[in-house]
Amino acid sequence: MGADYLWSYASVAVVGLLGVALAAGMMGLNRFLRPSRPTREKLLTYESGVDPVGTGWAQSNVRYFVYAYLYVIFAVDAVFLFPWATVFAQIGWAAAVEMAVFLGFIALGLVYAWRKGVLTWT
Amino acid sequence: MIHPLLVSASAPPPIDSPTIQYGDLSPLLVVAAVALLGVMVEAFAPRALRFTIQTALAIGGIVVALAATVWVGLGLDRASGDVLARGRVVAEGAVAVDGPSVFMWGLVLLFALVSMLLFAERRLEGGLSAFTGQAAAPPGSAMEREAVEHRIEHTEVFPLAMFALVGMMLFPAANDLLTMFVALEVLSLPLYLLCGLARRRRLLSQESAMKYFLLGAFSSAFFAYGIALVYGFAGGFGLGDIDQAVSNRIDGQNLLLAGIALMAVGVMFKVGAVPFHAWTPDVYQGAPTAVTAFMAAGTKVAAFGAMLRLFFVAFGGASWDWRPMFWVVAILTMVVGAVAAVTQSDVKRMLAYSSIAHAGFILVGVTGAFVGTRDASVTSVSSVLFYLTVYGFSTIGAFAIVTIVRDASGETTQLSRWAGLGRESPLVAGAFALFMLAFAGIPLTSGFIGKWAVFSAAWSGGAWPLVVVAVLASVVAASFYVRVIVTMFFTEPTGEGPSVAVPSMATTAVIVVAVVVTVLLGVVPGPVLDLAQSAGAFVR
Amino acid sequence: MTDHYITLSLLLFTIGAVGVLVRRNAIVVFMCVELMLNATNLAFVTFARAHGNLDGQIAAFLVMVVAAAEVVVGLAIIVSIFRTRRSASVDDASLLKY
Repeated sequence: MGADYLWSYASVAVVGLLGVALAAGMMGLNRFLRPSRPTREKLLTYESGVDPVGTGWAQSNVRYFVYAYLYVIFAVDAVFLFPWATVFAQIGWAAAVEMAVFLGFIALGLVYAWRKGVLTWT
Repeated sequence: MIHPLLVSASAPPPIDSPTIQYGDLSPLLVVAAVALLGVMVEAFAPRALRFTIQTALAIGGIVVALAATVWVGLGLDRASGDVLARGRVVAEGAVAVDGPSVFMWGLVLLFALVSMLLFAERRLEGGLSAFTGQAAAPPGSAMEREAVEHRIEHTEVFPLAMFALVGMMLFPAANDLLTMFVALEVLSLPLYLLCGLARRRRLLSQESAMKYFLLGAFSSAFFAYGIALVYGFAGGFGLGDIDQAVSNRIDGQNLLLAGIALMAVGVMFKVGAVPFHAWTPDVYQGAPTAVTAFMAAGTKVAAFGAMLRLFFVAFGGASWDWRPMFWVVAILTMVVGAVAAVTQSDVKRMLAYSSIAHAGFILVGVTGAFVGTRDASVTSVSSVLFYLTVYGFSTIGAFAIVTIVRDASGETTQLSRWAGLGRESPLVAGAFALFMLAFAGIPLTSGFIGKWAVFSAAWSGGAWPLVVVAVLASVVAASFYVRVIVTMFFTEPTGEGPSVAVPSMATTAVIVVAVVVTVLLGVVPGPVLDLAQSAGAFVR
Repeated sequence: MTDHYITLSLLLFTIGAVGVLVRRNAIVVFMCVELMLNATNLAFVTFARAHGNLDGQIAAFLVMVVAAAEVVVGLAIIVSIFRTRRSASVDDASLLKY
């Protein structure tokens, strides 16, 4: 550990720098040699061949943001499930029951969201 | 900082199944169960019945939890090896069920009980609660008008308050830093939401929610980092482990000092001590008044309880390091709170600055750090417990009166509009005057005994200069409380005077209870003072 | 080695704290708070390694969960205020003054 260990990452840094230099050099050379005649069509953002509509700052549907909230329910599950899984076998049924109780509490949140109609797309 | 030899990759010890003393934790569990049930009621009960069910569930749950608290309190045994402390540490060291814990459980449950009555008030808004019908609808929109027309209400406020109550009960009882942090968040997050749910003046309400949230999250990040540093110093989260590490003066004092300072920022923010008070006036003014009452009384109890336990149990061995900081903060808090309150023109802001000044007075008791002797002199812990009791009831009473002094646009919080209230309704003005006198600490009100208790504890602890400053600050504070009384009784109303709306039984009951407690604790403080005294000391 | 991680964690915490104080957009302020909490997590994990026990790692999990819950509550408040005012600047929210 220590300085030697960190130095072993130096080659990674060199590769990274070379990569950036290569890409920048090629793009720069290209830009220098080619003719540049911009038209409106050429400057449009490429979206699978379809003309883009509206500005780049279009709002996305607020529903996605509610789904992000629901995601938190599952994220919180996962955070505790992983460490629990490593000791589950040592403790046995008590651990299984306690985790079931915890998941039950989390599920209450999901049930609330379902009853409030968050899960149906209208 | 940390010796490299300490770095090891040895296999962690085997993990055993934890033992939980469900009986000792029953008050907490009851409230948590009521909160979860409340969520289910929201999901499945028909809309027309929800308000009734939620009110009954919340109040019933609190009463059951109170009974459980009394049962736990009666069963407390003397802790081994300590003459004063009673109780024990349960749930694998996470929660300390001792005298101060049980006292504060009972206290926040009582405050929650009367606050729930304020939440349940529906007569003042013509059959609707004081909370917005649809929080998602922008103020003044067609969607909002529709919600009012269909008489939609957010009855989620009851489960939210119950979740906050769980946090308030767990925060002062937490016996390790991690439980303390989680409790702090459980207490804060529902309150942030509740602040933004006012039916009237919704822009102010939303703004107060955002300010409270951003500053609260900021301060709890400081608290968390303080925990990390203290953990780095002591190698564990239990308050007892930290106490041992502090007393043994092991290496890494810088970590400890930085950790103490950062954690102090977190708890001082919650009690509203200067210089971490900036949120208090805005949030108290913007939040729905019932929520302000609940928050002002409950959060103070929880935060001061946690502060006492943290600094007396975990950092007791380092009191020479933290007491100077507390001296400065206590003096600043009293002076800034009292002086700023004098210039306020809004009743709710005035009460907010008054709460800052009172936080300063309580800090005087904390700073005294007087653990008591064998004779029955008042200790820091019991004096603070008593002060929190009297302050909480007077505050809830004062905010309850703010909800019923109204005009066409809702509550009239302009102090100038309160002129002539004494003629309009002598009873209501008289009750408010009583609370003002209690805040000022006039003899024969509860506030006097409270002030006497904290000042004498600080005096016994050797902090007499602080007591002198506190008495001077009390005089300044008394001047603006008297000004409110003069405005109500001896000033001619300008234009149309204030009107007092007739509330339902719920709010009336709250005001009556607050008046009775304020007078009773001023005339015969003995029993409650004895109870606070017998709550004794923290277990370790 | 521990010192390096703690230094990094302190730097992140300071960047977050300064960000909260100087930034104007509520969302960015909030992200700075999250940065502070993540700096805390780094410190927890580092100290857990230094002390050779698991407590700090457990703490990091709990801080993550708390941060997630804070995100939900915070974004709900900020979005509701944005829908009202069409602005998420903390300077615009200035009705509450004496």
